[in-house]
Amino acid sequence: MTTINTVNTIPPDAMPAADRGGLWPLWSVLAVARFQIGRLLTPPRLALAALGVVFPAAVLWAAESISEDRLSREAGAMILYALIPEAVCMLGLLMTMCPAVADELERGTWVHVAVRPGGRRSLLLGTYLAAIGWTAAVAMSALIVALLLGVIRDGTSLAPVLIGLILLSCIGRGALFALPAVIVPKRALVASVGVALVVEYLAGFIPAVINQLTVSLRLRSLLVKWMGWRREVPIQMQLLIDTNPPWIQVTAVFILAAVLLLVAVLILEWRQFPPSEES
Amino acid sequence: MIDVVDLVKHYRAGDGRIVRAVEGVSFAVRAGEMVGLLGANGAGKTTTLRMLATLLRPTSGTARVGGCDVVADPVGARRQLGYVSATTGVPDRLTPREILRSFARLHGLSDGVLETRVESLLGILDLTSCADRPAGRLSSGQRQRVSVGRALVHDPPAMVLDEPTSALDVLGSRDLLGFLAELRGSGRAILLSTHRLHEIEARCDRFVIIHGGRVVAAGTREALVAGHAGLEEAFFAAVAGAEPA
Repeated sequence: MTTINTVNTIPPDAMPAADRGGLWPLWSVLAVARFQIGRLLTPPRLALAALGVVFPAAVLWAAESISEDRLSREAGAMILYALIPEAVCMLGLLMTMCPAVADELERGTWVHVAVRPGGRRSLLLGTYLAAIGWTAAVAMSALIVALLLGVIRDGTSLAPVLIGLILLSCIGRGALFALPAVIVPKRALVASVGVALVVEYLAGFIPAVINQLTVSLRLRSLLVKWMGWRREVPIQMQLLIDTNPPWIQVTAVFILAAVLLLVAVLILEWRQFPPSEES
Repeated sequence: MIDVVDLVKHYRAGDGRIVRAVEGVSFAVRAGEMVGLLGANGAGKTTTLRMLATLLRPTSGTARVGGCDVVADPVGARRQLGYVSATTGVPDRLTPREILRSFARLHGLSDGVLETRVESLLGILDLTSCADRPAGRLSSGQRQRVSVGRALVHDPPAMVLDEPTSALDVLGSRDLLGFLAELRGSGRAILLSTHRLHEIEARCDRFVIIHGGRVVAAGTREALVAGHAGLEEAFFAAVAGAEPA
């Protein structure tokens, strides 16, 4: 090791204003997001992403083979909704958002991130950004491949609807999985699967106040509205959708995501991990 | 620069019992001073350092880094502190340059300053030749230097190092401790924990010996070894004196 004479002092004006006392270090959230995206670019992760891209197209192709005709727009929309904003997004977020804290604890990097000025919240929010960016990219690619297959009549007209649902699914469910990631980091995947089943797919189908707090209700309601299915939905099934206008559904997802992320950040700021919980 | 007064940390272990990890520890480290925190495994060294690094909240007492209270102003304390843990936690796939850049971005260094800073640290830490090699292919000494560079990336006036030489060989330890002595010479306050007394005996300005979560002796080498054959004997005597009869 050589001498220290050039560990020069960083001039104060070289540090952003936020690091000199601001509350919201957005740059560090973006730095973490960039770092996490880099971490996702490994052969196993890319192989899983490729699987996610081709899986919906394979199912559509199989469905068309069975029906021996091109799928109707309605049937195609239902299948693509179940496969992409639901299955692909859910699985993608489970893999990218759940390990937000556990990965850092296991790799021994937690302490190095947590001792930075906005370290903990940047870690969570940066990982969230990376998770929704990565998952949305995979889901959009899956949608493009599925539509290019040409097995749905007037399939391209479904693109705006499904793109909207993909984005909302990622934003809402990414935030939902942030909670298990900070509360039970080492069991986050199992806990998140439980949350997905109990909250999204059980509570989400209970026609009561509780389902107003789920992303699945908002997505279903938007699908029905944007596809113009409102009158075709049987009266019993109408209990499972919300009749408010789309802007309310979209706002509800954003509010839900913001509240969940805020709670997750507060928990993470408050949590302490003794050395025994690392590695 | 670093002030610790009556610091206490109790926590509940997995089996429900209360662990009294730190019991009223007090000491200070001034700018331009290197202080060794000595103690056996389980003495409370790591818990004390982690409270200083804002990773653990004290049960009571106060700790300040650069005048910032670690409880009332943790963000301020983090800006003043460079922390090196016993495990380097260096990602295998990333290169030293990428790691230093990533952590510099966490502090929001502007792009121009960031590049200058990273190049400067790579040179100082003798990492230029392996700056673009994945960290998984670096020696343990090189990885520890990356870890030190990561702690220095925001130019902190205080450094806290938890057993920084535990994974290093004799040469690596000597280089690192020499580097820390130079950091002290540049006006930084250095607090490092170790149980390898011989390595730091001649390097530190003062020593704090803790045992069972309490400070059992503190002072300069000369003051501690008075009446003993050396620092190691003084350490054993201090620890033995603190044991219940």
